[in-house]
Amino acid sequence: MASSDLERTSLLDAPAFEGLKLRRFSLKEVNWREFPWWFAALILIAVVTLVTVLTSPTFNEAFFFIIAGLGVTVSVTLAAFVVAVVLGLITGLGRISDKVLPKNAATLYVELVRGVPMLVLIFFIALVLVPGIINGINALGAALSNIGIGSIGSFFSAVAIRDIPMALRAVIALSITYGAFLAEVFRAGIQSISRGQMEAARSQGMSYGQAMRYVILPQAVRNVLPALGNDFISMLKDSSLVSVLAVRDITQVAKLYAGHSFRFQQAYISLAILYLVMTVSLSLLVKVIERRYCHDGR
Amino acid sequence: MTGANPAMQPAADPIIELRRISKTFGEVEALKDVSLAIGRGKVVVIIGPSGSGKSTLLRCINRLEEPTAGEVWIDGERITGSDEQMNKIRADIGMVFQHFNLYPHLSVLENITLAQKIVRKREKKAAQAIAMEQLKRVGIAEKADAFPNQLSGGQQQRVAIARALAMQPKIMLFDEPTSALDPEMIKEVLDVMLMLAEEGSTMVIVTHEMGFARAAADEIIFMDYGEIVEQTTPETLFTHPTHPRTKLFLSQILQK
Repeated sequence: MASSDLERTSLLDAPAFEGLKLRRFSLKEVNWREFPWWFAALILIAVVTLVTVLTSPTFNEAFFFIIAGLGVTVSVTLAAFVVAVVLGLITGLGRISDKVLPKNAATLYVELVRGVPMLVLIFFIALVLVPGIINGINALGAALSNIGIGSIGSFFSAVAIRDIPMALRAVIALSITYGAFLAEVFRAGIQSISRGQMEAARSQGMSYGQAMRYVILPQAVRNVLPALGNDFISMLKDSSLVSVLAVRDITQVAKLYAGHSFRFQQAYISLAILYLVMTVSLSLLVKVIERRYCHDGR
Repeated sequence: MTGANPAMQPAADPIIELRRISKTFGEVEALKDVSLAIGRGKVVVIIGPSGSGKSTLLRCINRLEEPTAGEVWIDGERITGSDEQMNKIRADIGMVFQHFNLYPHLSVLENITLAQKIVRKREKKAAQAIAMEQLKRVGIAEKADAFPNQLSGGQQQRVAIARALAMQPKIMLFDEPTSALDPEMIKEVLDVMLMLAEEGSTMVIVTHEMGFARAAADEIIFMDYGEIVEQTTPETLFTHPTHPRTKLFLSQILQK
């Protein structure tokens, strides 16, 4: 498989489950030495914690307090991921372009983002870049008013920095950061398609763009689906960083709860279990998608 | 210079004309000042040792390889290499590759209709009708709904030929079309190519199949070290090769 370099090892690949592929499954066929005990332990921890959370009143209170932030976590992650995919695809295409400007612009962006810690990037984008752009727009508005185009000018001048909510800035920050990561995923995916595919398409008279769209990308995207899924999971976890912008995601809500109740145990155990439930179920889902799309296509 | 046999008349109405083509890859000179004219309806087979520049020459015709120097003329038009012109000209030049290069994510039928739809702007129905017609011609109409990975190498290559033919090209280029095939599948592909040759298509073929070359070619070109050493009829080349390099090559391959 061309995508093998992008895949990460996963539970269902464990040799212990060879027997599961048979229609009739018997315990004898499970190789217990190879059994993924870590996964059994993970499930056990999740179940015990969930039971504790649901039965202990203090845990219960903490858990349902924190869950109020779930909508923000999920929507910030989803929105940022969609934007990051688009940004990543464009940047990935730029990276492999023969043209000097797109190639260098894309590489500059990727290297800039990769060289700065994500937390610092989030501060920078939300508190320096976004206000900077707004100031620029205001300055443009003032300039337009000065030369007499007051109607458009006042529109530009009216945009205030505080009009851009922190949640939106968080989405922008996560998108820009992950756009650079996903660019590398898409680049690798496109480069994993043999050169003969592009040559065949071009030899039939397709333009570079048409060949990309109809021949290369459909194959490349299929190859990178598992990697995209894993990056989605990473993004879900990294969305906790937006709590530094006081966006009320589950991490921020947990911090608030712990801060006023002093029940640190209850707050952070509940928080951790929430993330864990989401990431483990998503990684199983990624595995299913991978099996469906990647094992029969080619 | 080209050692063209004086017995061969230069093509009166060349559909392909290469003028003093050179191609270098870094330090390596793959083609050295090669000129060649191919007449309409002719079947031209290019033979030669590996690394002699055969495939590079073929790929210069539709500019999959950009010549370092020289001019390419197709059907009276000089190829400048602008994208727009290239896409238009390439649509008229079918190409069959050593490794088939079918689109693995598309069914056989979709492989053949894709470029018809987006390059020739044909309606889906019309494109499918032409695709089926070409599949019948290469003898695998029953595989229309299969995917490339479900076909044997020989079948894949026949689909690739049908895919090229569906564009109704003026010229067909074959780049070692049987070199990646298991021995028992070579014949089915050569048979299709023979049929095309008999129908009067213009074909330029790089191959190691000497029997096919002898049977199908109007002209045969022997290349070595990036040059055309000899260009003549198959009969003359196989029975009375003039150049020592041709003799050496033929003695090496025909002994096998």
